[in-house]
Amino acid sequence: MSALLIRQSAPLPTGSGPAILGMALLYAAVVAGIAIWAGRRTRTAKDFFVAGRGIGIWTLAIAAMAATLSGFAFIGGPGLLYTLGLGAMFIILPASLTNTMAAWVLAKRMRLLGELRGLITVPDAIGARYRSPAAQGLAGIAILVAIVGYMATNVLALGLVVDAVFGTGLPAGIWIGTAVVLAYSAVGGMLAGVYTDVFQGAVMALASVLAFGYAMGSGGGLSGISRTILAADPGFLGPWGKLTPLAALSFFFVFGMGALGQPHVVHKFYMLRDPLRLKWYPALMTAALMLTLLLYFGVGVAVKADVAAGTLAPLARADDATPQFLLHHTPLLLAGLVFSGVAAAIMSTVNSFLNIGAAVVTHDLPVALGRRLPAELFWGRLSTVAISVLAAIVAQLSGTLVAFLGIFGWGLFASTLVPALAVGLNWPGATRAGAIASILTGLVTTLGFETAAYFKVYAFPAGVTVSGLSLVLSLLAFLGVSALTPGQAAEIDPDVRLVMEA
Amino acid sequence: MTTRGRLAPVVAGALAAAAAYGSAFLPGGAPWWAPWAMVAGIALLSVGCMALGAARPGRGLGALWFPLGFTFVVLVLGFGLALALPGAEGPSTPLWAGLPARAALVLYGVGCLPALVLPLGYALSFRRMTLDAAALERIRAARSSPPADGGPDP
Repeated sequence: MSALLIRQSAPLPTGSGPAILGMALLYAAVVAGIAIWAGRRTRTAKDFFVAGRGIGIWTLAIAAMAATLSGFAFIGGPGLLYTLGLGAMFIILPASLTNTMAAWVLAKRMRLLGELRGLITVPDAIGARYRSPAAQGLAGIAILVAIVGYMATNVLALGLVVDAVFGTGLPAGIWIGTAVVLAYSAVGGMLAGVYTDVFQGAVMALASVLAFGYAMGSGGGLSGISRTILAADPGFLGPWGKLTPLAALSFFFVFGMGALGQPHVVHKFYMLRDPLRLKWYPALMTAALMLTLLLYFGVGVAVKADVAAGTLAPLARADDATPQFLLHHTPLLLAGLVFSGVAAAIMSTVNSFLNIGAAVVTHDLPVALGRRLPAELFWGRLSTVAISVLAAIVAQLSGTLVAFLGIFGWGLFASTLVPALAVGLNWPGATRAGAIASILTGLVTTLGFETAAYFKVYAFPAGVTVSGLSLVLSLLAFLGVSALTPGQAAEIDPDVRLVMEA
Repeated sequence: MTTRGRLAPVVAGALAAAAAYGSAFLPGGAPWWAPWAMVAGIALLSVGCMALGAARPGRGLGALWFPLGFTFVVLVLGFGLALALPGAEGPSTPLWAGLPARAALVLYGVGCLPALVLPLGYALSFRRMTLDAAALERIRAARSSPPADGGPDP
């Protein structure tokens, strides 16, 4: 579901061959064409950071879907399902409600605030809501910290895909993959980002639907697959799979509520040309997301059935599930399309991270310090280059360290942004002190708990995820401190209040 | 309903999720009721947030009670039945659309039914409950604050 969940740290089986190479080159050519087109139309910071606030509803929905899903939906997810059984589905089950929830809670208010105030970043909205540069700066710092980990894990995964397709070796694959994303991100900014996202989203959806069809066909339909699995491992198809009920439900809680705090997705609400078109956003986004997640489920259960039936040896690594399935059950062209889908999923997420990271550096942090950079477009491009080079360097470090950096990304976004942004934009009683307390609580608990767990200083009980615990603590801090500082609740600018009550 | 009243499910949901996590730290691990508390937390928080975002001052939820109430019931029933029904999956288990009953309740119930009802509820109530041209004009007339990117949009 999220970029943080890419734990791909070992090479993928090589996919080299004329069909796959050709598909990859065709894919790269289309991305390059979009980047050149968008680069010529990027003239202002508004073009660079919010695509000129001029995109349509189909573009918004598909671009948001592409940014939401990373390579995890194609590689890590099916592998996790193969390992954990249906418990792994609790990561993606919230997709049935998160998009409508985001539409009611955030979409209209962020879009209108963006237009009214000329906002271009997610921390901008927090700053405007609470009249607080401090809250805006803290939210920016939280986003930047999370992005370093997210970016490194994604760039590493992209390097693995490039290596698998072109045989470049991992270090070169990381730099080549980074250079491709950097080229279109720095030149065309978010304008290039959203239109490449649309293309990439279409590739992802097509690859997923086709792979799902082959997966169901490979085992005699879902009933046939289930019968094969039930004969060998009935617990796999229990509702919680191999997880405890609390652990599975904790996944649902974190990935359901946490979806309201993913800046690379909710930031896209600023970009919509006509806010009245939001009417169809949940339907389009939910349909696109669910279609693209079919592969996650289909390949996960089909490979498990193959192994249960003895037609496939047990996997040495869970992440081999998708490559092994493609090797055994699909034509080469579909394998090429799925590899392109993996690259597309990673690149669309990386591009969004680059854009919001550059916005934090060039916009949010200077605003928090009481000054503005004179040429945000220039500094935006420069920051994009700096962040991507930093991410590529970090990705060259040990896989364990990169995985650690990636672990807290989703949780950090959720615990620092959900209360102040999602609840705060809808509850006039929320206060500046409550927002700052929740952002600080999210930062300290997520980083502290994840570090303690990583270095084995403390083992959390079964069923407790650090992301979920931090989100709950941050929510309670937000509600509690706001209740204790009611005097600040009246301090809402009239135009912001108008949007909140609209 | 007042804003404070609409916030009540969010507060209750956060407390229920906190209780679920907190109970896992007790000696002996999470008690039997911990997953039930998490189900309550999920249902109250997610539906509560949607109600908080959908409602406008001085107006109730109107027809949105149906999709929101339906989603609440689906979440509680889907997860609740999966918890309550005996875990008897085996080679001869009857299948519901290809899956054992408890898995089907969760995957088709929680994973699909809200996806059919919520977006439809949002679209059908959009002009009345979310945004119409008149409200948009009123908001656009209120432009006055200093710009962040060279000025409000034209």
